[in-house]
Amino acid sequence: MEKPNLIENYIPHSGQYSLQKDLRLNAWLAVTVAVYLAVLFMNKGHPNWSPGLRAFYLLLPVLPALLYIRAWVRVVRGMDELQRGIQLAGFLFAALGTVVISMIISTLNTAGLDLGVLLRSGLGIGGTFLVMFPLWLVGTAIAQCRYQ
Amino acid sequence: MKNHLRELRAARTWSQNDLAEALGVSRQTINAIETEKYDPSLPLAFAIAKLFKQPIEQIFDAPARK
Repeated sequence: MEKPNLIENYIPHSGQYSLQKDLRLNAWLAVTVAVYLAVLFMNKGHPNWSPGLRAFYLLLPVLPALLYIRAWVRVVRGMDELQRGIQLAGFLFAALGTVVISMIISTLNTAGLDLGVLLRSGLGIGGTFLVMFPLWLVGTAIAQCRYQ
Repeated sequence: MKNHLRELRAARTWSQNDLAEALGVSRQTINAIETEKYDPSLPLAFAIAKLFKQPIEQIFDAPARK
């Protein structure tokens, strides 16, 4: 029988950590972060470029982000049924939590409250990932507790 | 759902890891089924029955329907 993917395969020092699996999954996250930082740097340095060109490179991080999501889907599909259920519950918790946080930020922005430079135009691509990750950790931890 | 997985496994002196490997699932899944915190899917229940060469209803007790 083929061994199912375990979340422990992606946690260093868990005893079942696999560098190969970790790289296969998280390489796209590293690329997304690198492209995102490069885009922020470019946007700051060239504010006078045409809107079309700026829109093109500002949306570039979406491509590696989509590939990162695809890598996650493959990992979750390779899990056994219980682990898959736990991960789906964690992702659902993270997605709904991010939507709620995004709505709160949007409402406060619309009401004219100053949320600082980073949140003035919503969560953004990087902010969405930063919010989703801890929510995913909490969601999977809650789901894991049910089956301990 | 009540089941006799722990007794069947113990009778063969298999560890949870051994059974998990034979079924292609995680050890946590076996533990969750044995402690009745998780009901396996139909394909997994059939795989368990096939592995222990017993009918499903002898491994899993059907819950009483209201």
